[in-house]
Amino acid sequence: MDHDLKNLGKSEKELFSFHAHSDLESEKITAPRYSYWQSVFRVFFRNKLNIVILSILALLIAFAYIYPMVTEYDRFGQLFDTSAKHLYPWKAIEKFGFSIHWLLGTGASGNSTFDAIWTGSRISISLAFICAAINMTVGVIMGAIWGFSKKVDIIMMEIYNIIANVPYILLISVMVMLIGAGFWTFVMALTITGWLSIAYFIRTQVVIIRDREYNLASRCLGTSTIKIAMKNILPFMTSVIVTLLATEIPSYISYEVFLAYIGMGMSDMSLGRMIFEAESAMVTPGWEFEFWSPVAISAIISVVLYVVGQNLGDASDPRTHM
Amino acid sequence: MGKYLVKRLLHGAVSIIIVVGLVMVMIYSLMERDRIFAADPMYTKVASNQKTVYMYSKWEEYGYLDYVNYTDYMAEITRNGEITEETRSAAVSIARTPEKDSETVAKYVAQFTEYYESQGYTVERLNAKTSGRKLVNGGQQQLFAHKDHPLIRRMWNYFTGLLDIDNIHKVEEDIGERGLTFTWKDPVYGGDKFAPAIIGNGTHHKYLLYVNDQFPFIHQNFATINLGTSYSVNRGVDVFTTMTSSQGSYVKSPITFPTGFQEDSADDLHTATYQAGSREANPVSADRFVDDYTNVLTVKAGLSKVGYSFVIGIIATCMAYLLGLPLGVMMARKKDKLIDKLGTVYIVFIIAVPSLAYIFLFKAIGGSVFGLPTTFDMESTSKLMFVLPIVSLALPSVANLMKWLRRYMVDQMNSDYVKFARSGGLSEGEIFTGHILKNAAIPIVHGIPGAVLGAMTGAIITERVYVVPGAGNLLTEAINKYDNGVIVGVTLFYALLTVVSIILGDILMATVDPRISFSTKDR
Repeated sequence: MDHDLKNLGKSEKELFSFHAHSDLESEKITAPRYSYWQSVFRVFFRNKLNIVILSILALLIAFAYIYPMVTEYDRFGQLFDTSAKHLYPWKAIEKFGFSIHWLLGTGASGNSTFDAIWTGSRISISLAFICAAINMTVGVIMGAIWGFSKKVDIIMMEIYNIIANVPYILLISVMVMLIGAGFWTFVMALTITGWLSIAYFIRTQVVIIRDREYNLASRCLGTSTIKIAMKNILPFMTSVIVTLLATEIPSYISYEVFLAYIGMGMSDMSLGRMIFEAESAMVTPGWEFEFWSPVAISAIISVVLYVVGQNLGDASDPRTHM
Repeated sequence: MGKYLVKRLLHGAVSIIIVVGLVMVMIYSLMERDRIFAADPMYTKVASNQKTVYMYSKWEEYGYLDYVNYTDYMAEITRNGEITEETRSAAVSIARTPEKDSETVAKYVAQFTEYYESQGYTVERLNAKTSGRKLVNGGQQQLFAHKDHPLIRRMWNYFTGLLDIDNIHKVEEDIGERGLTFTWKDPVYGGDKFAPAIIGNGTHHKYLLYVNDQFPFIHQNFATINLGTSYSVNRGVDVFTTMTSSQGSYVKSPITFPTGFQEDSADDLHTATYQAGSREANPVSADRFVDDYTNVLTVKAGLSKVGYSFVIGIIATCMAYLLGLPLGVMMARKKDKLIDKLGTVYIVFIIAVPSLAYIFLFKAIGGSVFGLPTTFDMESTSKLMFVLPIVSLALPSVANLMKWLRRYMVDQMNSDYVKFARSGGLSEGEIFTGHILKNAAIPIVHGIPGAVLGAMTGAIITERVYVVPGAGNLLTEAINKYDNGVIVGVTLFYALLTVVSIILGDILMATVDPRISFSTKDR
């Protein structure tokens, strides 16, 4: 010890100074500054793969929303030009000269497949985002109430058992018959009972955490139920909710494709409807591009959305913030 | 446990009843009735008053309402003996407008109106539509009564009619001495082979009990399940029969009919049901049968709709468990190693890619690379056509099982009991198979009855893509054809399977894991 002090060139007395006692200061707990969302994004962007995937997602969304706006897509523009139908990309480029429109060849009415898939993507992505937003909001709120109140639980379990048994396809076809096969009908058809399964999932999670010791302690100290829900339980479930969102959004694209394929699709030219209409092209030699392009793009969009969501879900788990 | 199960079953039954009620409200009240005429060529042909009458008679056939025509009413009361044939012919033809009715006609029209209005029917009289003195096409005068089925009565009728018990007073017509006869020698087999049978006269089915070489060998017709009659999918046939009767080409064999007439025929004489006046109407029946039990089903080579779906589904389920469980265990054991990462890529692929897209991908790969048949053909004897549908169904389930088993096992890996086992000197292999797998498999076990029973309902996309004649497409087909009977029947069938499989799953889980108990005291 002496040795150290000499090095510093100070006497033992000078190392200490008097500090007055403060009640206020003694109550403070010092911890490193921690912002939840900042940490989420720090962890998310630490993985370089996420940056790549996020840029692919940005590119896809930009193409789906901006590209149809700047180019005029007319599906039946070349309806009467018989030599323009079902062309391979290289044949189309040979015929019309090189342009971005002919990268994927032409479809059944001489239309550009490239333009068609982006118009379709815009509708499918919009449907997925809107449905996910509505279902997640309603589902999470209802699920929280469902999990908290035991009275609501009894009633909701019965409702869930009943609604889950009503065939979904029947519900959608009834809706379509009542209000037509437009975009908003589909939003309504996919959300009218869609929130129920999300609410059920959230309910199970809430029930698991509801009676944990720290919540019990919180309640004993007189914290209001709303504060427990907002401060104790919701942060705990952020990663679960984000992970759920990651599976929900692609599932709506998948569902839309499925419904279109069984002949209950939208009237708009969505990706699902394109796949449905081009089904015969899958086995026809020379027409493959118009079938596989929408299939591939719907797969790419879904995978990208899923991976982004999963990784964001991982990043939003505070245990990964070390 | 027993008491708890009864409670669960009752709860299930109540939910099924409400589901059927909801579906009935949806299809009978919410859907527009006019839609059933969308693809009806007859509808465009008839015009004017005739069109109205045609619409009501169709609605009655589809089960929307009760419809009674004045002419039918008059025929009915004549048969009852209320009025004579002369009165009927004098009163049956109404005039173009009510004012021109003759006295007799007016009297019976008033009686008709009063009778049906007292029962809650709406009586409508459409005056003749004329241009000048001539009737326009289909403009004949009409008188009829109609009444919508109220929901409660519709449901009551449906559920009470679900199980149909045959009895000797089923046939309304005069049929001679009614009764059941028991014989040791079934006449279908020539009358000298030992084959016990119960034959009825006056019952709906002729053979109420018989034996043959088909599974389950002893068959009965005393009680039949009646899920509702199909209208457009499989006209006039019950949904249950539509789902379970064999399909494909006829299997002919030499048959001796009751009259002694011999022929190579696919008729299955054991399925004979009563059809009034059929021998008079049809000389072919008269040649072959000695009584009016002439309506027979035929023997066909293929499986039934449910049969095909079940064969494909059950093999796919077995494959999924045989592949998915070991792969899931492997992923958990080699966590964060190459095999785990490859497995995760596969799981992400199945979850994220639209199911339609990967089924098409499997079809394309299977067809071009492996040269497997991509469409189903009932006449073909090749079993290879089953391969692609089974693979397409199994691969997604494999991913699902891998995902959950890995999750459950990884969660168990840090438990205290695992650390204790490790400190006790057990090898990793022993810990995984003897301890972790047993605990992780409990939630997996819960899904097994659902997977097995769910195989019966069929898969919509897979069956459509490979043209499998299975049960999966029945619901979509019924919805597209507005076949209300089939929609209700299929919904009931699906709901029943779901309820039963969840209860069976709970029982299985409680059997596998002694810690789980459903009796009220322990919970």
